[in-house]
Amino acid sequence: MGEKKYYLTATGFQRKKEEYQRLMELRKEKKLKIKELRDELWRPEDLNPDYGALQTDLDFIEEKIKRLENILKNSKIIRKKRKPPKKVTLGTTVRIEINGEIDEFTIVETLEADPANKKISTSSPIGKALLGKEEGETITIKTPIVNHRCKILKIKYQ
Amino acid sequence: MKAFKKFKIDLKELSLKEKRILERLVQAVELIAPLYLSQKNERYPGANFYPHNVKKEEIEKAAKNDPLILNPYTLVEKNKKGKLISVPYHIRFKKELKPIAKIIKEAAKLSEEKEFVRYLNSRADSLLDGNYDKSDILLLKGPDFKIGFIIGPIEWYLDKLFAKKYAYQAWVGILDKEKTEEAKRLISIVLSSQRKILPGSKKINVSKVKIRIDKTVAISGLISELLISGMNLPRSMKIIKKYGSELTVFEPVLKLRFEKDYLPIFKKIFDKKIQKSYSPKTLYTGALHYTLLNELTYSLIQYKDAERRLGNLFYIFEEFLANILSLKSGEMLFLKGVISQKELEAIFLFYICRTFSLKQLSIKNPNLSFHYQPRAEIAFNFLLRENGIKKNNKNIYSPNFTKLSICIDQLSRLVEYYLALGSYKEAKEFLNKYSSPNLKD
Repeated sequence: MGEKKYYLTATGFQRKKEEYQRLMELRKEKKLKIKELRDELWRPEDLNPDYGALQTDLDFIEEKIKRLENILKNSKIIRKKRKPPKKVTLGTTVRIEINGEIDEFTIVETLEADPANKKISTSSPIGKALLGKEEGETITIKTPIVNHRCKILKIKYQ
Repeated sequence: MKAFKKFKIDLKELSLKEKRILERLVQAVELIAPLYLSQKNERYPGANFYPHNVKKEEIEKAAKNDPLILNPYTLVEKNKKGKLISVPYHIRFKKELKPIAKIIKEAAKLSEEKEFVRYLNSRADSLLDGNYDKSDILLLKGPDFKIGFIIGPIEWYLDKLFAKKYAYQAWVGILDKEKTEEAKRLISIVLSSQRKILPGSKKINVSKVKIRIDKTVAISGLISELLISGMNLPRSMKIIKKYGSELTVFEPVLKLRFEKDYLPIFKKIFDKKIQKSYSPKTLYTGALHYTLLNELTYSLIQYKDAERRLGNLFYIFEEFLANILSLKSGEMLFLKGVISQKELEAIFLFYICRTFSLKQLSIKNPNLSFHYQPRAEIAFNFLLRENGIKKNNKNIYSPNFTKLSICIDQLSRLVEYYLALGSYKEAKEFLNKYSSPNLKD
């Protein structure tokens, strides 16, 4: 079975890359500190609580780096097409009217989701409902507890 | 002391100097309580803001010649000739305010944070000159202060006669950085969408909203008596329009209220199945989300001429719409995948418990019933009538979340109409139609 593919926007991919680079720098710093502590004491973990804390941090960073390496290796960047999009797809920005409000956000994979920065996941109720729909369409977002009518005002690439 | 409450908060994150600053500010908060109590008088609709033997029409007539008569920061008194005059608070209460201002300035001297020093000094001056604009602006333009402190005349709830006069209140707390950052994230998601305004209405766009979740150390005034868990300031529309507003959630107050009122109500009114499905922790998260969203939505729904059109009904509708829109904001957070279905349900359940609590409050404090009761009764009657909640013969309720959501949508359209465009007559008819004594304990 092939490895899981991640579909990211160009910005999303760049952010993951930057995060990876930051973590690599941080790993380097932590390793250096650990080495310094080791050089000072024979059994640093027994005598220096900072050593234990640093090691825990490093383990955490290593895990994150491993995950990011996997993501970057298996990512595919969602390319903007020349023609304006007709339907809501991964990577498109959609402007909607819902609940007495006008809202606009980009549909992304869960990995890249960041609602505070207007990036909504395909697995969210609204993301799921919008995928594949066209500009001008009015849809009903159905969930077990709330249902809302939503009009798609505009679809574009960011 | 009455109208003053202190909370036990871990102060380990404060330096020694900051602890001394806090001590001074707690003193200032405590000294406001007697001032508040001197303004309070449950036997008269106008409390102690107006002479007790004067009719409302006389005051209205006097206000035509002296608009300061109905200014939020003045007392109305009779001069030696029996004429109604306005007396600014800072003049009438000079003796009480001077030592409080002195303590605040002492706190300012201890601080090393320039902007906080400026703010504290300005706030102290506000107490003595009656002009709060400058200190409000410094608060709104400044950074998130580690120690949050507000003092002054703030809330009109005691004035049942005109809903104009502000009573003194104060609070001080320490910023909870982690919870505040999370709150800011939620708020930015809510603010990323734009509320449509009703055609013909004149909406004010609030430029920005600051948020803080505080580990409140001390409160005094009405917020202490009623355990109010959040506040959105300032009150001046002129300032809000240009500089935005700051909302504060007093988390220890919310926790206390939750344990004392909301959780017992939840256990009393909902069946065992519901009680088992929502742990106190889940319900508390709903309470915190609701409180945050409720305070935020005050900033979102400012209609320019609403107060003029609706008169003393304005504040009922304003608060009611804030309550309803907080639920709608919760729905949007759920639809965007920010909160889970369970968390949204917890917000709805908390709203129902809070509505019951409002009713209880208005029974315990009849002088506040005019403010709380209509909202509580309208909401509850609506939800019952439209099957958003069902009641059995043992007075146990079960919610239908889908129908609840529809009710909320319908209510929001109605209430927002009155705020945006409605007349006093229409608003009064709506209140008369939907509020009735159906809400039984």
